[in-house]
Formats: sequence, structure tokens, C-alpha cells
Amino acid sequence: MKLVVLYLVLLKATITSFAGLASLPVVREELVVKGQLLTDTQLNEAVVITRMTPGPVGLYVVTVGYYALGIPGACAGWLAMVSPALSVIPLVHFVGKKYDHPRVRMVLQSVVLASAGLLLAASIPLATAALTDPLMLLIALVTIVLLLRTKIDTLWIILAAGTTSYVFSTARLLLVGLI
Amino acid sequence: MSKRVSVLRIAELFIRYANFTFGGGSASTAVLHRELVARKGWIDDSQFGLCYALSRLTPGTNLLAFCTSVGWVLRGFTGAVVALLAASVPCAIIVVLMTVGFNQISRNPTWMIVIQGATTAAVGITVVTCWTIAKPHVKRTNWILPLMLVGLAFGAKALMNISSVQILFAAVIVGLLLPINRR
Repeated sequence: MKLVVLYLVLLKATITSFAGLASLPVVREELVVKGQLLTDTQLNEAVVITRMTPGPVGLYVVTVGYYALGIPGACAGWLAMVSPALSVIPLVHFVGKKYDHPRVRMVLQSVVLASAGLLLAASIPLATAALTDPLMLLIALVTIVLLLRTKIDTLWIILAAGTTSYVFSTARLLLVGLI
Repeated sequence: MSKRVSVLRIAELFIRYANFTFGGGSASTAVLHRELVARKGWIDDSQFGLCYALSRLTPGTNLLAFCTSVGWVLRGFTGAVVALLAASVPCAIIVVLMTVGFNQISRNPTWMIVIQGATTAAVGITVVTCWTIAKPHVKRTNWILPLMLVGLAFGAKALMNISSVQILFAAVIVGLLLPINRR
């Protein structure tokens, strides 16, 4: 029973939000303040963990579920995270049929262009957190050049960025140790 | 038109590119655009635009709605479910494992340095994708309005901290009101 309630609470949070962490206030209200299944520290940890792992930020509800009820809770969190995504199917089906209508194209084009602006805005906090020294700036610039000039698999670029960061940081630490 | 792609290849693509990109859903969508449109050619820019725009207007995690809609375009309901599972199960398992070992991992400097490098790549990927998704709508004869929309959305979010939902719904209204011949 607790599991179903947890799923419904997390579903309420995810289905009423339109971006990863926008569901956070509902989760806090329902599980920390009212339900006391979770502490504020655990909720903060859930957010930090999803920042440290690949994939969407919305994954934090999986950690929230895990903290609340263990592995079954994590499954409930996962289900609450994926359920709203299915609602896109009728949208794509019906809007896709009308896609040739100039007005529909115009609306979708406006949303895509606004999303491009939002994407650019989303890179600011990422850049603030990641571009902390010249090496990181160089990695970002090389990534941009590789993406624009080559068709290298993006995963290799990400892997190379992580490895370069590790190799240079280790070399820097060794040099400091020698001096 | 989209290519006829096997369910296995859909699963493989979303497992690889929706689960292992640092930097959140935006960076993963950016990676997926490159793979789906530029490298593999499974969908074209207008299909990407359709899926991307509608997923932004869908509640919940936009990345998962995007993967589901691409799966639908490629192979109908089966494709949608496979894409959704492939895009969400592996990263959910990673998150649970990370949660279990959170205290050890968060104190491991090596892991943190690697993550920072990978996130740096995500910055580059996100910036480039902003241009690649806007580019098909920026024409030689009509570039002021599209770039103005990008700039306004950017300014509203970055400078005024207006919520993404409000900005996207404002974009819907703009799309409804603009005269068609100004495209």
C-alpha cells in the first residue's frame, strides 16, 4: 500500500512539472513535510547524486524512492518518472498528422526556436560549474570544434574529455608534489 | 521520412546515448540530435523539430518524452516503449548504485575530476546543439525573427529567470499569432 501511495505522490510531482527539478517542491511537501518518509538532507543528496550521474536530472525521483522504501521504492520512482512520457504519444500522433498545416509548423517552429534559447541558457550553470580553469575551457573549445568539424561518435568525445581531465589533473598534482 | 529501423537498433541507440551523457537532459538531447539526424539519418530535421517541440510541451522529464516520441516516429507503439525503457532503465540502475555508494563515491577525487571533464564536454555539446536545432529555421531571407525568438527565450531564462514552461507557452502563442507569410 505504501508503495502505491509513494508512486502516486511521485507521479503527482512529475506530471505537474515540465522539467527535471520543477517537481522538487511537491516531493518535499508530500514526502518530507507531510509524510516524513524522507529528510531534507536525503532530498538534497538525491539532487546531488543525479548531478553526478549521467542522464536526465529528473532521475532524482528514483533516489527519492530508494531513500523512502528501498529497491521497491526506487522502482516506484522510476515508474513515476517514465509514466508522463507516454502522454507524448497521442500528441505526436495527432499533431504529426497535421504537420503539413502552415500554422502547426509555425507553432512548432516557435517552440523549437524558444527551446534553442532555453538550451543556451541551460549551458550557463553547466559552464559555471565545469569551466573552472584554462584546461576545462580548452576541453570545451576542442569539443565544439570536433562537433562542428567531424562526425566522431559523441560518446568518444565525452570519454576523451573525462580522460583528458583526469590525466592533466593527475600530472598537475604530480608536478606540484615534485616541486 | 524516417528510416525503417529495427527495434534492437532503437534500443541500442537510446541505451548508448540517452544514459551516458553528463549534464542532464539537455545535453543528452543534444547528443541524440547528432546521432539521429547528422550521423545516422534515421529522422530528418523537421521530424526532430516535431518530437523536440512536443516533448518540451509534455509534463515530466522532457528527455524521456523526446525519446518516446522518436521511438513512435521510427516504429510506432513498440518503438516508443522500447525507446522509453532503453532511455530510462540503465540510468536508473546507475543512480541506484550511486545512491548506495554515495558516501564513498562523492569523496573519491578521481571520479569527481572525470565527471568535471565529461560535464565540460556537455557544455560544448549543448552550445553547438543550440545552433544546430535553430539552423534549419534560420533562412537567408528570414533570419531576424528566428534569431530574435532564440534571443528572447535565452534572455527571459538567463536574465529574468522566467520559468521554461511560461517561455514555451509564450512561444506557442507567438506561433499562433505570427502571420504565416513571415516564416
